[in-house]
Amino acid sequence: MRITDNIDETKCDVVVVGAGFGGAAAAKKCADAGLKTIMLERSKNVGDKIISGLTIPFHGFLFGPAFIRDGNPPIERPVDGIVNYIIKDIENKDIDIDDSLKVPKPFSPVFSVGYNAFCKAFCEWEVEQAVASGVELRTETTVLDVIRDNGRISGVITEKDERIWSKIVIDAEGSHGLLAIKAGVRKKYPPDTISLADVYVYDMDKRDIDRIFGFSLRFCWGWDEQKIAPPLGHGNGLMVWPYRDSLHLMQDQCLRNDDGPVYNLAAALKGYHEKITANLPWWKNEIEPRVTLRARMWDGFEIFVGLNEQLRNMPNFTDGMLLIGDAAGLENTELCDGVPTAWFSAEIAADVAIEAISHHDTSASFLKRYDDRIKAHPIIQWAITSTNRYNLRFAQQEHDEKKLKQCIHDGWGLGFCKYGSTALMRIVLFFIRKDPKIIGKWIRMYLRYYYNWHYSHFGDTGIAKEKQNRRNGIRLKSCLRLMDLILFIFSPLIRLVAGLLEPLAGAANPVMRFLFPIVAPVYLKFIKRWDAALEPLSTRLVNAIVASDPSIFNA
Amino acid sequence: MAISFDDIPGVEWEPGAGEFITVDPELCIGCANCVKVCLGGCYEIVRKKAVIRSLDKCMECGACWYVCDNEAISFSWPPGGTGFRTKWG
Ligand SMILES: Cc1cc2nc3c(=O)[nH]c(=O)nc-3n(C[C@H](O)[C@H](O)[C@H](O)COP(=O)(O)OP(=O)(O)OC[C@H]3O[C@@H](n4cnc5c(N)ncnc54)[C@H](O)[C@@H]3O)c2cc1C
Ligand code: SF4
Ligand code: SF4
Repeated sequence: MRITDNIDETKCDVVVVGAGFGGAAAAKKCADAGLKTIMLERSKNVGDKIISGLTIPFHGFLFGPAFIRDGNPPIERPVDGIVNYIIKDIENKDIDIDDSLKVPKPFSPVFSVGYNAFCKAFCEWEVEQAVASGVELRTETTVLDVIRDNGRISGVITEKDERIWSKIVIDAEGSHGLLAIKAGVRKKYPPDTISLADVYVYDMDKRDIDRIFGFSLRFCWGWDEQKIAPPLGHGNGLMVWPYRDSLHLMQDQCLRNDDGPVYNLAAALKGYHEKITANLPWWKNEIEPRVTLRARMWDGFEIFVGLNEQLRNMPNFTDGMLLIGDAAGLENTELCDGVPTAWFSAEIAADVAIEAISHHDTSASFLKRYDDRIKAHPIIQWAITSTNRYNLRFAQQEHDEKKLKQCIHDGWGLGFCKYGSTALMRIVLFFIRKDPKIIGKWIRMYLRYYYNWHYSHFGDTGIAKEKQNRRNGIRLKSCLRLMDLILFIFSPLIRLVAGLLEPLAGAANPVMRFLFPIVAPVYLKFIKRWDAALEPLSTRLVNAIVASDPSIFNA
Repeated sequence: MAISFDDIPGVEWEPGAGEFITVDPELCIGCANCVKVCLGGCYEIVRKKAVIRSLDKCMECGACWYVCDNEAISFSWPPGGTGFRTKWG
């Protein structure tokens, strides 16, 4: 990584504030377009101060920056589903399970719904790619203010009182938005939109995690009096993410509930953590004896900004400045995943910055197209307006078990397809219509990521391959070649079909809602019955991947 | 030399952060919201006013700043390269 401590030149095309998930992606795209781009980061090393879950959902990888999709980012474990524990009475072990969100065999675990990762390792990798594209990175540099020149923002001022002049400032500072507030673009978020997450990282033997968790996340929900998942406001939850050889446990809670009093969160979160580790049967029996605490941390993030219409419509641009990711309030209101939206907004901001600079117009009226594209992005809009997590509170208040289960099923179970199908169909068809060969890149991404994960090796250089099953690997190579050929031959037809289906995407959610009561039970029954039967196929796919020459997975 | 605490493993604090969060006693009404949400135990109430005991265990989460209805808390980042850091976020 090239780190520039001191550069005399303080004029550039684009300044990016914050070298996190979004900042690195935006900076790289600007540099790739030939713009002189400087990225400023307040921490000593990249990623030192980024705290997260973290499952990055599949849509971030498939529809986000190409260098991530086609690269080798460090991941901790693929995710093939969520097991929801609905805790009604912990003392009497009255706990229901909703594990309907699960990638079926033989696709699991290779074709996953997301990837778990450590923020620091992932952001370091992203920043390395940005620096390789020519971005100048300056760490240990806190941006304090923007430069105003004739009313427009023309760069930033660092804590060392250094002025870095730029045509565009991309603000990727994360959710607190101190710079955006100072620049007068947006306001401080109210506490009922902010969740305080208390995070524990436990060491655990990889073999135990493989056996106990496999590739599934475990989420806990419950009645308030169970004191398991903090009950004090919208947005409570307790989530356990299996990593390679560690577990990530997060409890989070809104700072305030609908203008009510602020609770003693410090005491509550501590109490709930003690209670769950001592009482939840699977934690107590299977996890507790096998773990040691590696790390503990906490952070606040803007979970419900998107649900407040006024906040959602707060400006995300001004003359000479664009806000992306958490700084623009783009956190998912249900799964609390903000990385995909940070990536999508980063790419849109970079595109707009490139256009603005080439048109010599960085005025707010030109930059408005950034906001238009954010509002037209199907996944961003779905992510920031989903209500199941928010509504969970009402189900808990009313002690309405049916409602509670419905929210859980629709938020973190199969029911999500009643809300997410339109957005997913729109974006899939959009990408396929642009270039059907993208399908080959998506499939190779899944195979490459799995290969990398298996060997815990995230570079471009090959590694020692297992000799056995070599034939399997060769067969996979032929399959990929055949797939490329089919995509090539049928490309015009695929494009035509995608184009014809695109206008119908709007009907996907209503159709899903209509068909769901009939189709879902049949599907779930089928999956339960066939999962075991299809397991050998899944194993064959895995064996073929790990026996392959990794160069066949290159995009 | 970075500082660490047994009860908060996996996190280090680089010295030199200084007083990057401050309370204005004129504006503080002693509601203790900041005390209640700070997982680092950074605040205490002394003579009906919030006082920052120490920012040694501050994770820069901003919770105190968000819950202060009276804008008594000024929140900024510590100087570049100082404050908390972790590899496990
Ligand atoms: C506990 C928790 C769990 C989460 N779980 C998930 C999850 O499972 N999946 C998911 O997708 N997302 C999750 N998120 C959200 C995700 O972490 C964020 O949405 C994502 O990090 C946002 O990316 P960003 O680039 O906008 O900001 P960040 O990644 O936060 O990066 C901002 C960067 O800017 C730097 N910076 C800030 N201010 C300045 C300044 N003034 N000068 C210089 N540098 C500055 C910071 O040090 C940081 O490096 C979670 C968040 C939390 C807190
Ligand atoms: S939250 Fe604000 S007003 Fe209340 S005690 Fe803390 S500083 Fe004072
Ligand atoms: S920022 Fe967070 S950790 Fe620091 S003093 Fe405020 S509440 Fe405590």
